[in-house]
Amino acid sequence: MSVVVETLAGMPSTAPQLARAALTARGRRGSTVPERTLRVEDVRVDRTRLAAYQRLTGYDVGDALPQPYPWVLAFPLQTALMTRPDFPVALPGLVHLENRVTTHRRLDAAEGLTLDVSAGDLRPHRRGRTLGVRIEARVADELVWECDSVYLARGRGTEDAPRGDTPPKLPGGPVVGVWRLPPSLGREYAAVSGDVNPIHLHPLAARAMGFPRHLAHGMWTYARTLAALGRCSLGPSSSRVWFTKPVFLPATVELVRTTGDDGVVLAGLRAHEDPSTTHVVVRVEPHPER
Amino acid sequence: MTTPRRAAVLGGNRIPFARQFGPYAEASNQDMLTAALEGLVARHGLAGERVGEVVAGAVIKHSRDFNLTREAVLGSSLAADTPAYDIQQACGTGLEATILVANKIALGQADSGIAGGVDSASDAPIVVPERLRRKLLRLNRAKTPADRARAALAIRPTDLGIQVPAANEPRTGMSMGEHMAVTAARWGITREAQDELALASHHHLAAAYERGFFDDLMTPYLGLTRDQNLRPDSTIEKLASLRTAFGTGPEATMTAGNSTPLSDGASAVLLGSPEWAEAHGLKPLAWFVDGETAAVDYLSGEEGLLMAPAYAVPRMLARQGMSLQDFDLYEIHEAFASTVLSTLKAWEDPEFCRDRLGLEAPLGAIDRSRLNVNGSSLAAGHPFAATGGRIVATLAKLLHEKGSGARGLVSVCAAGGQGVVAVLEAA
Repeated sequence: MSVVVETLAGMPSTAPQLARAALTARGRRGSTVPERTLRVEDVRVDRTRLAAYQRLTGYDVGDALPQPYPWVLAFPLQTALMTRPDFPVALPGLVHLENRVTTHRRLDAAEGLTLDVSAGDLRPHRRGRTLGVRIEARVADELVWECDSVYLARGRGTEDAPRGDTPPKLPGGPVVGVWRLPPSLGREYAAVSGDVNPIHLHPLAARAMGFPRHLAHGMWTYARTLAALGRCSLGPSSSRVWFTKPVFLPATVELVRTTGDDGVVLAGLRAHEDPSTTHVVVRVEPHPER
Repeated sequence: MTTPRRAAVLGGNRIPFARQFGPYAEASNQDMLTAALEGLVARHGLAGERVGEVVAGAVIKHSRDFNLTREAVLGSSLAADTPAYDIQQACGTGLEATILVANKIALGQADSGIAGGVDSASDAPIVVPERLRRKLLRLNRAKTPADRARAALAIRPTDLGIQVPAANEPRTGMSMGEHMAVTAARWGITREAQDELALASHHHLAAAYERGFFDDLMTPYLGLTRDQNLRPDSTIEKLASLRTAFGTGPEATMTAGNSTPLSDGASAVLLGSPEWAEAHGLKPLAWFVDGETAAVDYLSGEEGLLMAPAYAVPRMLARQGMSLQDFDLYEIHEAFASTVLSTLKAWEDPEFCRDRLGLEAPLGAIDRSRLNVNGSSLAAGHPFAATGGRIVATLAKLLHEKGSGARGLVSVCAAGGQGVVAVLEAA
């Protein structure tokens, strides 16, 4: 996506940036994303924070990094990129639509990671514009993990914008899990991930941002679903998630899943009260060990 | 019924043992057991395989962990249709689990199995006082608002509080160390002898790490690659300088250095029939020959809390037609240095062997150079239910190194006045 690499001395802290993002939200415009990659080298995993994340998302406490975890590690860097003055879209209110991750090999919590974040691919959408964000994780020079996120910046849409590929249909099999998500889930996830977006914290805060209630973090529902699928995403694998409908808290969601002959796992979360409402679709494809 | 066949120890795996509130402070029993199991599965190529059963347990267990072992199986790469169950026999848990799995294999009821154990002294369940618990249950079942209000008002500030479980015997109120101090004094076990045994444990364990002995018996976990309690550079002077922790007056000889620390950890052992082993490309390390359990009446004060193995071993030897000297290696769990020394002294004592064990002659002394040659719990630490698996895997590999026919004796004392012992023989 970009060629200019800017290496930061350390991981920036998120809170002041989010404040700046809120203050500079209005007036951001432009149709191009600056060609810029922000990098932090030798990012270390705090095992206490990792354990708290693993407990909240349903993983065993252990050394293998959950597949979405580098995203959490890179979150402050992503925020730093998007709060630069020349960044064309406002961070507050961005809606996470899609995420694609490839783990090239099992990541161990003891390894220092070099994290790169860049953005681009601004496209028209029915409800605004979409933006692509790419995160790459390296150990020394080896690319071990990569992630592409798609965000929606809500605004004046383009009615005839080309649609992205639609998520696969949820498997129709029996329900294999029913999870009751408490009102505090957004705050608990914010505490372990550092993502303190107000739309997840409290109904009033979410209402101020134009949502009827506060909602579960997409990256939590994604991680919780992956954890429920076992160890298939801990080794070499790719997963993709589509966030189709927000999960307003509190909520009861149910898990459905199926495994194809090719080993590809398809899973989804849907509303317990109304199974026709699909919140999240996840597809995991294990790769052979290299 | 089929003729009993031989069950083989095929391998073992554990995570390094950590000290209480150390690197595993955030890990639950289930996390640690899963990690130990997963390492065993990975090393023996069992991903996606169904084994006969997995048997493990924990001594300090949360009520939510009613299906601890099955949950660990489901979190591992073993096939999800692998059955599992929990057992608990205090510090004897891991060895008892091994006996159970080996017996099913011997009887042809299973072709393979995994025995293990785990304990966390850090992630302990917190219990509210009994009086408060009863009132909370009453509050919970109250139906009308008036009943609820009454039940809630019955809770007094003095009811509040939490109880952290302690390693105390429920019927005596004495800690294990206090019990052991009585036994150590009775057998006249000296401070010097205990410190020497503790020092040997550290040096032997350190030497085993140095020669890479544990490379195929251990999976690093949460940043630990070696047992955290191990002090390779410990000296007799350092041990001698420690204050006594148990016992009173001049008879007090037990210190933190010659007692095991509270620890966190997990272990697992793979067993199978010779046919199953061959079909999976695995080589038996040792045969599981026999196991025996015993218990003593420690409530009357007639016998020491941790002396049951002294009774279990001669019963097993008599059944096998073996003598105490028929072993190439001895693994006597070091709950305390004085436990090992009291047991050995009892076996050498004609009066004890005659009056308590009903033997004409004492069992006699053992060659001390064959005792705990790779260190034991004093150096490694002792996550209660994980110790049996640590010992069985270590001994099986040691016997295999010695060559076919070499024999090893395992002895583990346990709370409640119990003891579990076993014989392994190199395959």
